[in-house]
Amino acid sequence: MSDAAIALGIFAFFMLVTVGLGVLALRRSASRSLTDWSVGGRSLGTALVWVLMAGESYTSFSYLGAAGWGYGYGVPVLYVVAYLGCGYAVGYLVGPLLWRYARDHDCVTISDMVAHRFRTPVLGAAVAVFATVFLLPYIQLQLTGMGVVVSTISYGRVSLDWGYAVAFLVTTAFVVVSGLRGSAWVSLLKDVLVILTLLTVAVWIPVHFFGSGGLGYPHLLHRMVAEKPEWLTLPGHDSPGLGMGWFASTTLLSAFTITVFPTTVAGYLGAKNAGALRRNAIYLPFYQVLLFIPLLLGMAAAFVVPNLKDSNLALFRMVVDALPAWLVGLTGVAAALSSIVPMGVFMLVIGTMWGRSVLGASPRLADRQKGLSQLVVVIAGAAALLLTYTSPNTLVRLSVVSYEGMAQLLPVVLGGLLWRGMTRAGAVAGLAAGTAVMLALVLSGNDPLWGCNAGVPALAVNAVVNLAVSTARWRRAD
Amino acid sequence: MLRRLRERVSVVWLVGPFVLYVGALPFVNRVHPIVLGLPFFLFWMLLATVLTPVTIALAALGDPRFKRDREGDAQ
Repeated sequence: MSDAAIALGIFAFFMLVTVGLGVLALRRSASRSLTDWSVGGRSLGTALVWVLMAGESYTSFSYLGAAGWGYGYGVPVLYVVAYLGCGYAVGYLVGPLLWRYARDHDCVTISDMVAHRFRTPVLGAAVAVFATVFLLPYIQLQLTGMGVVVSTISYGRVSLDWGYAVAFLVTTAFVVVSGLRGSAWVSLLKDVLVILTLLTVAVWIPVHFFGSGGLGYPHLLHRMVAEKPEWLTLPGHDSPGLGMGWFASTTLLSAFTITVFPTTVAGYLGAKNAGALRRNAIYLPFYQVLLFIPLLLGMAAAFVVPNLKDSNLALFRMVVDALPAWLVGLTGVAAALSSIVPMGVFMLVIGTMWGRSVLGASPRLADRQKGLSQLVVVIAGAAALLLTYTSPNTLVRLSVVSYEGMAQLLPVVLGGLLWRGMTRAGAVAGLAAGTAVMLALVLSGNDPLWGCNAGVPALAVNAVVNLAVSTARWRRAD
Repeated sequence: MLRRLRERVSVVWLVGPFVLYVGALPFVNRVHPIVLGLPFFLFWMLLATVLTPVTIALAALGDPRFKRDREGDAQ
């Protein structure tokens, strides 16, 4: 058998297992309600919440983008580790807060929490649409990520376009059928494979390319310090302003933003109790140690495969060159599942928000919310797939502002729960002002702004406008 | 939640990761000294990643809410 056939055979087998796991997870569930599908019936224990949320945090970006950043810029990519670590600390308090509110008021996603908090279904629908705009680019990122992986591990036999289609089909199939619980079970498979293959790769590649003394690391690190010191401190090598100010502001902004990110919230709400979330705030950060591997290997690739056209392939180029076919296949499966799990939850969350807060808000359709949600999953995935084929750059441009855009939801979602005085008008005015400032800064090429992530000044404007409008109305009402 | 935080003093430990990853930046953004073979910034980030769960655990262990979770009165 050829190498491509072996790698692809392993890959195809695990894709079938993935869909199978989704179906099995469905059979374990007690009911068929929207709550059961969207947030696993609020029944996931500590271990399943761990695999699910770790699975969401370790996406195909970790294999492709992180290695690519390491290859191109060096250490600035560690902001991912930094904001996730800080985000778990914030989540220790925020997770249980959101979980309790959602349980007490029977909410399944951030849009219906906002609708309930402000007694305004239209505001919930607006949040759903807003969040969808900023989530779609992530689906496309994962689709393209998986397409690249499939194409690479097939030694070029499978085209990118077919890779995207496979990604869409597998993900849609298991998410529509099984919902969040299925994602958690697939995450379990994914985490096992990710940990095994990454540790293997972390040993194999340095030994293969840098000799066996100390597994090759002393030689690799020595060469890095001697020949590429620029890569080893902020702002990195030839980076677009990724200095300490950028690192600090992006870490702070993202640490808070991730706690209201709709997919994180899906993980929170799926928990059986608040204790499962507090325990996970302690256990989840350990997973981030794994992120150092693609970063280091990405930097190693700068020696081994210099002048790559696509820096995102830094890690996979070496994997394909150095590893036997069956390990290439397994590593490909791990990377593909790292696309499928987050992409599935992104689509699930979009479906849930629309099914509950946009379409399902109409009384005529209120009893069909789950069916509508599943329909929207297919539509959202198909839309991302179509855009990937027809105008791949639209969503890439949008993805640049995704995190900064989602940050603008912080006052409305989190602030609204903490501060009873916030009014509907304040929330809307703040959200509009913050988003306008963010778009103006990014589109005019001012991100980072004086070395600071543009989302931070935008969020500040958002909060101040919110505060001013809310208190102005509040006094009048008194 | 904010009112109740007064009884949960230990949650100040949650600033730990922010101090390690952000506050320390001006002091750790350097290649030398090499520790355990790692350039200093890489070493520090790895150390911060290992210490982050420790600071969150310290926050949790002093938190009455967390103790109640463990007694099975999960809320």
